[in-house]
Amino acid sequence: MADSYKVTVNGQHQLTVEPSEQTTLLEVMEQAGLKPHYHCRNGFCGACRVQLIQGEVSYLTDPLAFIRPGDCLACCCTPISDVEIKQ
Amino acid sequence: MRYSTFNQNQVNPLHEPMFFGNPVNVARYDQQKHAIFEKLIEKQISFFWRPEEVDVSRDRVDFQGLTDSEKHIFISNLKYQTLLDSVQGRSPNVAFLPIVSIPELETWIETWSFFETIHSRSYTHILRNLFTDPSEVFEDIVINTEIQKRANDISKYYDDLIFYTQLAQTLGEGEWEIDGVKHVVNLRELKKRLFLCMNSVNALEAIRFYVSFACTFAFAERDLMEGNSKIIRLIARDENLHLVSTQQILNLWQYGKDDPEMQEIAEELRDEARNIFMSAVAQEKEWAHYLFRNGSMIGLNEEMLCQYVEYIANMRMEALGFDAPFEQRSNPLPWMNKYLVSDNVQVAPQEAEITSYLVGQIDSEVSVADLGDFEL
Ligand SMILES: [Fe+2]
Ligand SMILES: [Fe+2]
Repeated sequence: MADSYKVTVNGQHQLTVEPSEQTTLLEVMEQAGLKPHYHCRNGFCGACRVQLIQGEVSYLTDPLAFIRPGDCLACCCTPISDVEIKQ
Repeated sequence: MRYSTFNQNQVNPLHEPMFFGNPVNVARYDQQKHAIFEKLIEKQISFFWRPEEVDVSRDRVDFQGLTDSEKHIFISNLKYQTLLDSVQGRSPNVAFLPIVSIPELETWIETWSFFETIHSRSYTHILRNLFTDPSEVFEDIVINTEIQKRANDISKYYDDLIFYTQLAQTLGEGEWEIDGVKHVVNLRELKKRLFLCMNSVNALEAIRFYVSFACTFAFAERDLMEGNSKIIRLIARDENLHLVSTQQILNLWQYGKDDPEMQEIAEELRDEARNIFMSAVAQEKEWAHYLFRNGSMIGLNEEMLCQYVEYIANMRMEALGFDAPFEQRSNPLPWMNKYLVSDNVQVAPQEAEITSYLVGQIDSEVSVADLGDFEL
């Protein structure tokens, strides 16, 4: 089992995710008391878009919103490496 | 290039652009150029709902208890939404179907527009419950100057594209004089009009509903007009999907994943696209001003609404690769989110907390006596 992944938000918040729990990036940010943007929480509105500066994510639900290069949809993806994101 | 309802030429839809290629012939989805549209169709159909299933009967009492300024806010918003869905219930079909070239997008357009007609029917459902005769409300939509201003901006890009498509499909390319006005018709000009129209529709789906949504959900926060709020939540969920589809189309063009000429046009007309969006933002702020001219409502005022419009506009513009034009980075109306979460509206009807949602075929007021001899 891999160790937990580090999630860096806006270059200042250091959060951790247990790979086995498949927590979405949105939930990770909320659990840390941050106020990320969201609407549908289901991958079809794109409101939760964040910049994925470094690292990789995998999608838990098939996103319908267009994912521009360098972005990811926080509500439906989970990190699969240490990641750095910006919102 | 006359339109044909069944193009007899053999064409490979996998090599067709989204628009202005060959007309679609076989409606087939086993192979797709842009699979996203088939996914959007599936999602949209899974959202199917009927206005009549939402019990709005308690709203009538609530409405009578509203102040005059609150009534103005509530009814004006319904009028504006009625305008928006009147346009959207027909225009994607009329404007885009004659020029679409891939079957999955053709069917998405029809599915999208059909859901807008559900929205239109839901406004009648709401208004019939509030007024014995809702004619006055409907009739004002074409007279009211505040609504007219918006109607003009919303319909003009559609109308222009439709007119040029008609010229191209009957007269062909060339310079044509119609009613004393000269029109240059060629493929490039048509594509430019399509691009501007798609941006205008995108702005409509992206922000034009949100002032109205915010007012509706502000009433719901006070446990008022909850039937209406349930309907608007269903509408908001659909609108999100529509928005994603126009964002997909604009991004596919922009990233050169469809018609290369559309990528050029997207670059050439980028400022105009931005202006279309910014003028929609300005109009929405003016709308907020009009709504609150007779007084505010509890929990919401013009300033907060304008901040919310800016907050949403930033998000929407970034989705197309524009820089966020406004300072407003935090959500000024955090309670809005709980009405926009899709799961909350998907809860099974029998669950207690949403008793008035989907009351089914039986009216909530029906008493046992009304059932007569029916064996219970
Ligand atoms: Fe609609
Ligand atoms: Fe829509």
